[in-house]
Amino acid sequence: MSAATGTALFLSDENLGNLVAEIIAAGRRLVAPARDPQAAVGGSADYRYISSAAELAFGDSLPRMSLKGFFLPQSEVLFKWHRKGADVEIEAVPTEFPPQIVLGARPCDTAALEIVDQVMDWGLRDELWFGRRNATTIFNLSCPVEDASCFCHAVDLNPDATRAADGMLTPVPGGYLVESCTEKGAALVEGHKALFESGDTGAAAERSAAAAQYRAAARAKVAADLQIDTTRIKEWVGDHFDDEFWTALGPRCNGCAACASVCPTCHCFDIVDEPEGVGHGARRRNWDTCQTGVFTLHASGHNPRADQNSRFRQRVNHKFFIYPSRFGEVLCTGCGRCSRVCPEGQDLAEVLACIDELARA
Amino acid sequence: MKELRDLTRKLLADGDAGVVIGWEEGRRGARPAFITTPDDADKLIFDARCVHNLANYLNPRKPQVKALGKPAVVVKGCDAKAVAGLLREAQLTRDRVILIGVRCGGVVQTPEMPAELTEATVATRCYGCDVREPKLVDHLVGDARPEPPVTAALDRRIAELDALSPRERWQFWTSQLAKCTRCHACRQACPLCHCERCITDKTQPQWIESSSHLRGNFAWHLTRAQHLAGRCVGCGECERACPVGIPLSLINRKLQLVVKDLFDYTVTDDPEVPAPIGAYAVDDKQEFIE
Repeated sequence: MSAATGTALFLSDENLGNLVAEIIAAGRRLVAPARDPQAAVGGSADYRYISSAAELAFGDSLPRMSLKGFFLPQSEVLFKWHRKGADVEIEAVPTEFPPQIVLGARPCDTAALEIVDQVMDWGLRDELWFGRRNATTIFNLSCPVEDASCFCHAVDLNPDATRAADGMLTPVPGGYLVESCTEKGAALVEGHKALFESGDTGAAAERSAAAAQYRAAARAKVAADLQIDTTRIKEWVGDHFDDEFWTALGPRCNGCAACASVCPTCHCFDIVDEPEGVGHGARRRNWDTCQTGVFTLHASGHNPRADQNSRFRQRVNHKFFIYPSRFGEVLCTGCGRCSRVCPEGQDLAEVLACIDELARA
Repeated sequence: MKELRDLTRKLLADGDAGVVIGWEEGRRGARPAFITTPDDADKLIFDARCVHNLANYLNPRKPQVKALGKPAVVVKGCDAKAVAGLLREAQLTRDRVILIGVRCGGVVQTPEMPAELTEATVATRCYGCDVREPKLVDHLVGDARPEPPVTAALDRRIAELDALSPRERWQFWTSQLAKCTRCHACRQACPLCHCERCITDKTQPQWIESSSHLRGNFAWHLTRAQHLAGRCVGCGECERACPVGIPLSLINRKLQLVVKDLFDYTVTDDPEVPAPIGAYAVDDKQEFIE
């Protein structure tokens, strides 16, 4: 895990607004937690492309969706095709992207990108994923911890982690302490340096103390939520494929897969060819998920995962056994979104606690 | 509560039911419970947080529920309407399920909310509810509860949308449906979405594009709305399941109003009353042809 190494600078609330204005004026795309001005229901923020500082909603609860859609869109064109007589002409899509900046990402969402990097560079490098990754500069917002469904500390993260981030903002009275931890992060600060107050002023020590207190409180809050050992869980899951435990979990799940939509690390996709007229069309990839029946449905009609018991087991297996076996770390950042969004009250933290208990026995 | 728990114990101990499906306390409020042994009967609860429509678990294409044996399901009035829908559409026969009715005084919007019913917390579907005491049941438990606070928020919003110009309405629905990720949580949460193979999962031919562009999203939501017209019981589970907050109840409620107007039909918990999609009347309005 990378640590914030830059000297902390102060960015006042007013100058955060100025920073947003300068970034947008420079023609760069800016993503931040913001509310949907059209929303008929719900008041929570989502990560959105914003066009003014007035849209920022740093104080809102955890964005409903994770950041992944800005790197792996719900639906994206892989190439277009045109039939030319007996031939087919392929029109490639660009794999280079204009720079974009994310302000106020939650540490669990940013860390997820680096975890997913591994599978996106597994044998074949996913140019679209890495094109967007390379074009993006991310400043985290040190997280206050949402509620008791958060468990980032149990999967080797923290509410103030800077893994995969270029910098981090920590709320302090009147603004934010800003640290950069990569060259990209330092370059962003340097490009707008008039807005940042150096750490040499008299107020700096007070602000450092406030930031340290904020972070310590968040760490203590999340540490109270879940005590598990992911190594022990990995072994148990690997050894208990046919355990009765799974048949107790499946019935409640209605297979809606909302968990996978909101998950920062679920990355499976389907590939479809869609005609867009006569003789031309597009190949797209769309989010897909192991929680649906059609995900594993064979052309013969046979389905190796014929019920929700086996589909829910797959979700836990992939995240806590298969991925760590292949890549050395779990495919989960403890954001708790799956538990919050589940209409039937399925609770991953509870499931992990149960498995940990079984593994200890 | 004691009545419900005692009944559950008896049904399981006597072997009348293999599983009692009701509600229990979860870490984030009330949630569905699958009680298979008499010893677990005391886990069951019922209060205003029990919003889930448990009729969804009677969908014949849920093998993981079927494997638990004959189900006894706790139903509120609105849930009973969904059970009636399954019976009406031959997805279920009455002797294959035990229905435990609970007298309901309305529910809150989400199971995480406190159980207090106010105008701000009551679920929109409880407005105008005509089945506080479900019929169609084998057992009826609980005391009668007071009428819930009235909220006409849904109908107010529909009136607002109806008052917009077609272009403005188009813009509103475009902004909402643009959010859809095509996870189909709405379908999975719906007790009346019971097709063996959903049209959006069919690929030969691909009637509905699975991509979450506007073309695919409109095709999906329009088809879904058509398929549920005169069938939707208005339980609101689709909207609650939607991870991106699309106000699907606006569509469902509008459909109910249209069906009422065209066919003088309101979804009922009497499975013997045919739904408009399965009935023909010579005096059906045919204004759409003109």
